[in-house]
Amino acid sequence: MDRLIALIGLRFRLEARAIAGSRGRKLGLVFALPALALFSAATALGAFALVRLVSRAEPGLLLPALSAIATLFGLSWAFSPLLAGIAATETHDLTRLMPYPVPLRTLVASSLVANLLQPTVLAQLPPLVALALALSGRQFVPAFLALSSGLLLVVAAGQTVGIALHALSRNRRIHDRVLFAGIGLGVLLSLVPILVLSRGGSAARRLLMTLLERDVFALSPFAWSARAAVHAGRGDWPGFVAWGAAAGVAVVAAVGLSTAIAHRLYRGELDTGQAAAGTSRARMRLPGVVGAVVEKDLRTSWRDPRLKAVTLSGVIGPLLLLFLLGQGSPAGIGPGQLFLVASIAGLGTVGSNALALERQGLGLLFGFPVDRLALLAGKNLALVVMRAPVLLSLTLATLFIAGPVVAPAVATVVLLAQVLASAADNYVQILFPVPMPAAGRDPSAPVSGTRGLGAAAISLVAMTVTLAVVAPFAFLAWLPQLLGETWLFVLTLPLALAGACAVYFMATSGAARLLVRREPELLARLRGDE
Amino acid sequence: MSDSRIRSSNHDEYAIVVEGLTRKFRRQTAVDHVSFRVARGRFFGFLGPNGAGKSTTIRMLTGLLRPSAGDAVIEGARLSADLIALKRRIGVLTEDLPLYERLTGEEHLLFAARMHGLTPAEARGRTEELLEFLTLADERGKLVVDYSQGMRKKLALACALVHGPAVLFLDEPLNGIDPVSGRVVMDLLRRLTARGVTLFFTSHVLDVVERLCDEVAVIDHGRIVAQGTLDAIRAQRDLGGDASLEDVYLKLVAADVRREDLSWIG
Repeated sequence: MDRLIALIGLRFRLEARAIAGSRGRKLGLVFALPALALFSAATALGAFALVRLVSRAEPGLLLPALSAIATLFGLSWAFSPLLAGIAATETHDLTRLMPYPVPLRTLVASSLVANLLQPTVLAQLPPLVALALALSGRQFVPAFLALSSGLLLVVAAGQTVGIALHALSRNRRIHDRVLFAGIGLGVLLSLVPILVLSRGGSAARRLLMTLLERDVFALSPFAWSARAAVHAGRGDWPGFVAWGAAAGVAVVAAVGLSTAIAHRLYRGELDTGQAAAGTSRARMRLPGVVGAVVEKDLRTSWRDPRLKAVTLSGVIGPLLLLFLLGQGSPAGIGPGQLFLVASIAGLGTVGSNALALERQGLGLLFGFPVDRLALLAGKNLALVVMRAPVLLSLTLATLFIAGPVVAPAVATVVLLAQVLASAADNYVQILFPVPMPAAGRDPSAPVSGTRGLGAAAISLVAMTVTLAVVAPFAFLAWLPQLLGETWLFVLTLPLALAGACAVYFMATSGAARLLVRREPELLARLRGDE
Repeated sequence: MSDSRIRSSNHDEYAIVVEGLTRKFRRQTAVDHVSFRVARGRFFGFLGPNGAGKSTTIRMLTGLLRPSAGDAVIEGARLSADLIALKRRIGVLTEDLPLYERLTGEEHLLFAARMHGLTPAEARGRTEELLEFLTLADERGKLVVDYSQGMRKKLALACALVHGPAVLFLDEPLNGIDPVSGRVVMDLLRRLTARGVTLFFTSHVLDVVERLCDEVAVIDHGRIVAQGTLDAIRAQRDLGGDASLEDVYLKLVAADVRREDLSWIG
């Protein structure tokens, strides 16, 4: 029992330390806990009212609807370790405790109890009580017990997924893929509400009604405890016993599965070994220092799942902006709006924090006796190449919306905005460096010692300045369209791009001189020495 | 220190001239007015307990950390004046092994060679040689993130050697390397000094230092407490001629070597 308490205590201490690690997180906690309590209370009231309303208006819909909600809740909770990147956190990693002589039973129990005592789990209790009251009237206790077993199943399923992810993540390649899949899933889920609210809304509603009519969610183990609670509330005891037993079996199965995986981990049977070495000879194809830096940055970014995901998901913002503009305007998107979106999309390069993304490699990079202008140019060029999906997607969108004449102009505006934003970003990252999380961790996650809101404010100022510098070049690129003399694009587009490049080189030369002077300070700041 | 003093002390025979090097982190002084000289082609051991200031000194001398005070001249390049010129002359293996984890070992070496201005053919040739020499050839296609600590150390050492530097700063180069590779590395380092390369070397393995180094400096709490050949230090401290470097070192850093056992071991 002492060990069980010690393990649960360790888990809470690690989590508390993760929160206390930065001022931003501490501040976040001050807002998050009352918000969680408020959300819990609001959910409880909402659940109570909704169940009462459906019970009176559409009693036949109660079972399928509750089953659907329980299933969605269960699935999202179970796969939350994937979305939250738990595979990368040490707090939930049972394998770290394997060297100690702790019985497997104690390890699994400590994990389950610690999971059950999480504030987010405890916040589900008021909605459960409200649901049980709304469903049961006088039969509160059996209904509440049934619903509680559902919560236990959800937590046990989350634990199973978490332990399985940790087991798989011992192999670096699988770890990378799990991280990438998690981010991809998160990005897709964040798009669902927008798609549902727009054109896909009616189709989604039809599909949901069909599923509810056929009571498909009755097959989901996450729904069984809710169904038992409904039967308890109706006084249907055979139904309560049947669904309750099924829910109990599901809980035992989930706990059993997580124990089985933990058992295999415990015995060292899930070691998937190391990633195999590639056999082909390496080549550095691009010439010069700029080429070497570009090639290095592209390779390292593509092989880091987090950076790759951030790069690819950068496409979504501009396309979403176009989509929303299209939805908001009955006449559709005009060329002016396209040029505006192109300018804004190019600004995404500000805040890239490319030097800090070198992480421990920065010491090596600064150790090379190369011209700092070439070094910055290489890093900026790599960033522009990495943001090529933004340029391509906007150009393609323009091709469909405004035709082939405007597309090269929009592409030019994106490119020149990216080039000028890179120049501004060089100053931001040299003057206001922000440390980055370790490789493989979420690059957008806060690190102790970062400025949080301060960094955001500086990026905002840099973006405003860049937008002001971009404006005349973007206007030059847009001018033929305004004049109705589109043949002039042949002159204005190269001119706008050349002008932007000239400004870039002037600005970056200054940044390179600044970098030479500030290199040791920059390194000390990013290493956390200061 | 003034430029003129540094210039006057920068004789041809010295590869490294350090004067009054100091580094303060907030209230703590990590390195406190450290001064020494290392003659060209010497194997110089820089010793000290954990946290004594060895790595901080190396980071300052290689331009990776700005000194709070003091200056240094390395192969004629002044630390405070021209960092790029200084970096052209040196090779560095720091304790934290700054490597790009998502490059393969071979890509990493090619990249380092190109960044030192070698032609593609030179870069390819030296990469091949170094991979073979440091027994990394079979792991050339593996990402650095999948390398063991010893393999990382060998790769970082290869990166420090690839451009043929005049001065090598090696912070614990033999830590974590298998005995066979360790012997290969030690032989290579000896050959390099014979060809005029200056080695600035830290290690906690004192018998290795005793065998390899011509001269040592001992740093403790950020200050140099002794410098010279082992014989000279023995003479200064009234230690017998048969005193090992370990004996000398323990006396210099006033180490309190505990003799009693742990209570539960009995």
